[in-house]
Amino acid sequence: MTATQVAAGRAVRGQLAGGVFAVSAVVAAVVASTLTAQEAVPGIPMPGPLVTVGLPVVRVLLDVAAVAVVGLSLVPKLLGFDAPERSEPVLRRVRPLAVTAAWAWAVCALLTIVFQTAELNPGRVPTLGMIASYVDTVGTGQGLLFSAACALAAAGIGLMAVRFGEKVPAELRIVVALFGLLPIPVTGHAVDSVWHDPIMIMMEVHVIGAAAWTGGLIALAVFVAPRAELLAVALPRFSRLATVCLLMVGLSGLVSGLGTMALTPGVELPGAIVTSQYGLLVVVKVTLTALLVPLAAHIRFRLLPAIRAGRATAVAGWATAEVAVMGLAYGVAVAITRASIG
Amino acid sequence: MEGCSLRRLLTVLLLAACAAAGLASPAWAHNVLVGSDPADGATLAAPPSRITLTFDQPARQGYAQIGVTGGDGSAWADGAAVVSAEKVSVAVRPMPAGSYVVGYRILSSDGHPVTGKLTFTVAGTGAAAPSGDAATAPAAAPDAGAAAAEAAANGGAGMAVVWIVAALFILAAGTALALRRAAPPPTGPSSTAEGGASEGVESGGSGGRDGKGARA
Repeated sequence: MTATQVAAGRAVRGQLAGGVFAVSAVVAAVVASTLTAQEAVPGIPMPGPLVTVGLPVVRVLLDVAAVAVVGLSLVPKLLGFDAPERSEPVLRRVRPLAVTAAWAWAVCALLTIVFQTAELNPGRVPTLGMIASYVDTVGTGQGLLFSAACALAAAGIGLMAVRFGEKVPAELRIVVALFGLLPIPVTGHAVDSVWHDPIMIMMEVHVIGAAAWTGGLIALAVFVAPRAELLAVALPRFSRLATVCLLMVGLSGLVSGLGTMALTPGVELPGAIVTSQYGLLVVVKVTLTALLVPLAAHIRFRLLPAIRAGRATAVAGWATAEVAVMGLAYGVAVAITRASIG
Repeated sequence: MEGCSLRRLLTVLLLAACAAAGLASPAWAHNVLVGSDPADGATLAAPPSRITLTFDQPARQGYAQIGVTGGDGSAWADGAAVVSAEKVSVAVRPMPAGSYVVGYRILSSDGHPVTGKLTFTVAGTGAAAPSGDAATAPAAAPDAGAAAAEAAANGGAGMAVVWIVAALFILAAGTALALRRAAPPPTGPSSTAEGGASEGVESGGSGGRDGKGARA
């Protein structure tokens, strides 16, 4: 009796993780974007509140949906293929959700194009012609369109997985989902120097690492945490992945963030970290990443041995806390792609 | 075994990331205002006939805006802003003495709107400074060249089409591979066709080519 109650409580707490992530990401995106918004200048029409609030919201929802697709695609890989009778009930719930999330991703990417067109044409409702010319001339629009196409591809493959189960290779689903993340850095800042390509690659690594880490953790907290025997298999695998992702995300974030500032003309590096909006947001993101380390370490070094031994732990709660911090970092990331560097 | 395939996965992704970075044009960067005529805070003896802002990078055609506002809120810009590579300028009507605010909003070459403002003061009401008029004539000529260079740097819509077609091609190949790996069950043919069809519909929105590829 008490055991089932505990299990049920843990399931509820685990299922909160997805919602907690989305809410903290949206809140952080709106707050950070509002604080770093470019101030109105005299004589220039500025976009209305619908655009200034709506743009970060759809942009961060794009990230949330993409993280969900990546995380849900990782679940079969984390559970392994040795015990289908145990993993199949979980996977039957995961596969349709991955399709829904992929659709949401595509819709958010297309909506982001519409909002960004509206941002550049203040005071007017964007027409199809304006959107077409935006996509035609601005790389951001093309990147988002490509991302939407990849999301639709992920939805298509996800549908096949719903139908054919694990005969559709899990790797294929992961690769298509991560492929859709690749054009996302194009929507952020860029620098004009020989370091452009290395910094772009750093941003690609950053985006991929963050999505795999966050998505994997949310999927584990929501679907696997209530099932002790599956968790004992999946968490050690995820833990290895998470360690790699933490290093990838931290290093690539520092290099691309500081590199972008160093290569922007008129930016004095040590001082600009605390004076420019971009620098402050980099500091916030480094702080959030540092905050993740003790949470992740607790799961890894305190809880993991107990989970391996089959004992009940509060892993869902700890994972939810970690996911909340990750959501804040994702929200700040939306503001950092648009903040002024100088 | 599993660690090995994960490593292979990461390698593929890194290569794809390199390819994506290579495709991205090196001209995409965040614009910063590096100079202006008149300079920020300058006091002019005669009203300018043109305001010119200089950025470190060429600005995007078509989205640049410059507003010139007098102390009483009156607008003095005459016509739309002209983008000529890294210089963005606008003609101004003859202005009386007073202080003016120049506000600008341009589309940075990496696709972000960049806004800012600067101020200057007109002390005298003499004839318009001649230097401004000289800038007008060359501003128009390099315009076409700048537009062409920008289009070349972007690849325009053609680049997006190439990306999408390449993605759909990879998708089609992956789908075919997936279908082959899935050993055809007794009810295979009918369900395969259905799966392929829904797949085609999914991707049909961005280019009808894939539907055929997936089903082939």
